[in-house]
Amino acid sequence: MTDVLLELSQNSFARKLVAGAKLPIPMPERLTRPSGPITERFLEGQTVLVSGRGGLSEVLARTLSRAGATTQVDSDALGSAFAGAAEAYGRPVQRIAAEPVVADPAKKPSKVHALIVDATAALTPRDLKTVYAFLHAQLPRVAKSGRVVVLGRPSAQASTLAQAAAAQALEGLTRSVAKEIGGRGATANLVVVAEGAEARAAGPLRFFLSSASAFVTAQPLQVSNDASWDNSDPVEKPLANRVALVTGAARGIGAATARILAREGAHVLCLDRPDDDEPLSIVAREIGGTPLLADVTDPGTASRIANETKSLYGGLHLIVHNAGVTRDRTLARMSENLWDQVMSINLEAVLRITESLLEHGTLREGGRVISLSSVSGIAGNMGQTNYAATKAGIIGFTRKLAEQVKGRGITANAIAPGFIETRMTAAIPIVVREAGRRLSALGQGGHPEDVAEAITFLATPGAAGVTGQVLRVCGGALIGA
Amino acid sequence: MSGKQDRAVIVGGMRTPFAKAFGELMELDTIELGVTAVSALMRKLHLDPRQVDSMVWSGVVLPPLSVNIGREIVLDLGLPTSVEATTVTRACTSSLAAITIAVSAIERGDADVVIAGGSDSTSNAPIAFPTKVTRTLAPLALSGKATPQDILGALSQLIPLSEVLPRQPRVAERTTGEVMGESAERMAQRNEISRQAQDEFALRSHKRAARAIATGRFDDETTKVQTPKGFVHVDSLVRADTSLEKLSKLKPVFAKNGTITAGSSSALTDGAAAVVLMRESKARALGYAPLAAFRSWSYVAVDPADQLLLGPAIAVPKALDKAGLTLPDMDIVDMHEAFAAQVLSVLKMLGSRAFARERLGRDEAVGDIDPDKLNVYGGSIAIGHPFAATGARIVTTLANELHRTDKRNALIGICAAGGLGAAAVLEKV
Repeated sequence: MTDVLLELSQNSFARKLVAGAKLPIPMPERLTRPSGPITERFLEGQTVLVSGRGGLSEVLARTLSRAGATTQVDSDALGSAFAGAAEAYGRPVQRIAAEPVVADPAKKPSKVHALIVDATAALTPRDLKTVYAFLHAQLPRVAKSGRVVVLGRPSAQASTLAQAAAAQALEGLTRSVAKEIGGRGATANLVVVAEGAEARAAGPLRFFLSSASAFVTAQPLQVSNDASWDNSDPVEKPLANRVALVTGAARGIGAATARILAREGAHVLCLDRPDDDEPLSIVAREIGGTPLLADVTDPGTASRIANETKSLYGGLHLIVHNAGVTRDRTLARMSENLWDQVMSINLEAVLRITESLLEHGTLREGGRVISLSSVSGIAGNMGQTNYAATKAGIIGFTRKLAEQVKGRGITANAIAPGFIETRMTAAIPIVVREAGRRLSALGQGGHPEDVAEAITFLATPGAAGVTGQVLRVCGGALIGA
Repeated sequence: MSGKQDRAVIVGGMRTPFAKAFGELMELDTIELGVTAVSALMRKLHLDPRQVDSMVWSGVVLPPLSVNIGREIVLDLGLPTSVEATTVTRACTSSLAAITIAVSAIERGDADVVIAGGSDSTSNAPIAFPTKVTRTLAPLALSGKATPQDILGALSQLIPLSEVLPRQPRVAERTTGEVMGESAERMAQRNEISRQAQDEFALRSHKRAARAIATGRFDDETTKVQTPKGFVHVDSLVRADTSLEKLSKLKPVFAKNGTITAGSSSALTDGAAAVVLMRESKARALGYAPLAAFRSWSYVAVDPADQLLLGPAIAVPKALDKAGLTLPDMDIVDMHEAFAAQVLSVLKMLGSRAFARERLGRDEAVGDIDPDKLNVYGGSIAIGHPFAATGARIVTTLANELHRTDKRNALIGICAAGGLGAAAVLEKV
């Protein structure tokens, strides 16, 4: 399922030809993706430009200095907020002019990896003017596969109407920025940090600044103090000594997830149907994991998982509910059987297994429940009433679960993939497939690994501030946004 | 640690003068340098060779065919053949490591009298052929049955020549490929250490070392060395006549707009240094007055790709904690000077509260070191730095200082290749 346009766009002659002839052909930019495990200094040698003195200065200073970024700030206030961390990690910050020196048009501005705007102090729409001014001046500098991260406060916690309006405005702004820079393979995301949850923003910041979030764009992510947290936030091998269970691990997103969880240190129990013994064994062997042959719809499976993980590993740190099927028909032609099958695999099994893990206390303190939803579950899709119902159901399940388990430090989140290049999407008719790929900010389909990276981020101890959320990995798809 | 009477003590130390590589000591290899230092020390202490249990030696540039140079020194010296020997290598912390291993051996009851130290002759560094040459030619040379055709065939594989010529020896990190000076240059930039601060530091090192030599401070810890060309009496790198003006005129060597010059770096050096360690009761029984003892030490490592030479900033607080002491308790401090920029970076981090909080998990800075207590007799920039002799040089100078003055505690900090770092606390006995 080669993406011909993506291949073509790598050819500079073709790019020029298309641009010169003003052909209405999208030329997506190849995304920079992780080439190995997460590293402490993942921003070494990269320039990050920071604007806005808000509540996140301290976290930003520490996160960027530690990551090895060359940080530029546009105010003295920000410069002094960064001074301590800059000294500790030997990363002196550079002060740049707030107003861009009006440029010599012949001279191209130097590229930067990322722009970060801390707009948490915005109290009125008027305060957004500085956000506008900064992005207006600096957006052209964002490099290919670059990053824009906007930081805001939850509008629901605003104390005035103006503050609520300003807070929510950031979402529209960020989503639109994503569309403007998507052609460069660059992303823009909004991190919405609740008052008092600042320290928990570090993990999400690293995710959005790194190549792990290559296919995540135009997304708001809420960071809260809801779930209890022991303050642990290891950057490298964050999943060391953790036991994970991935359902549907034989192929596609499940296999990619198993691999990337293992790459970050987890021991992965790879579960799939007995029919998939062979591909499942290959994945499990490759990552030093443990294959687990079981049918998730089998009523005995839930208690078997709970008992076995409890006795063999003393419990489970995280579960990824990935197993799922599509049985597409328009509603009129959909047999009861097709409805039942999808409902049973995609939703009922998830409920049963989760309940069993919680009942037996198998899911440990600080655990993670990550379930695969879908953009279809958010937007609906022709011929997918059954599938979309289950994937929306996952969202309801996730929100309620997050509420129930927060006291034990467990988080529950859903991932909603958009168009991902898998066996499933390869079977879609070409016109629909092309629409799926191109109607997005990044103009291309994602890889199973992109979804796996997002899941892995949610699995880390540093993602403790994220719970009850639906994170879309969709390349900024137009539908259901 | 064992009871006070049973601890290991430093009885004496001795070194050769340090000379620039390919200079006065070029004719002596690392084993001969070691022999010179150890024999002078034994003569000075009137140490009966039969009392020696073992030798813990160290080296960084080791001769490939006799890597355990400690044993070679024992044999060349004519010590009893029963004196067992080991050779350790731990970059620039090598001889400190040799010494603390000796201390451990004594305090564990394995030995009563141990000679420890290290030597390096950068002048005699083996020129390494690239692996390709070795792999192509060695089978032929070793088989003894190669025909001229075989040899021609093998030689033809060694083209282009640029791939097979011996490589210039470089003090480069294997993992990063970075020459140490380049790492230090990056540290200077990252920690905002100015050229002037480095030059001033280097100047102080030279002035203090020159004064120490002039006043005879090193006389009974340095031995003259006989070479085919005559005697070498004194450290040859120290420049009594240097000035800030001269230093500031030198060109940066590791980066175009860099700050590090030959004047603010330690040079490739030849030399050796040794100390004798004994169980305290044994020392007293033999009639020796112990000079000092180790209160604690700490070996650490940092990521060589980050700040290669920052190790002492982590090791110093650990060693102080283990000793139950703080920086103000230290009456004298010796920091190995690989580069002025590196020492100044370490000093800045020790004095940084932000560093303490972020990197050490403690609320307050480790502390500032009074320049009047730091490297009071100069350091590696002026005196020179034979990799594996520096630790033993520092231990000797500090042990003598603690013995002769009313100073109670001394601190050592050493950075090293590979991101290694070490610190130790000595106390008066």
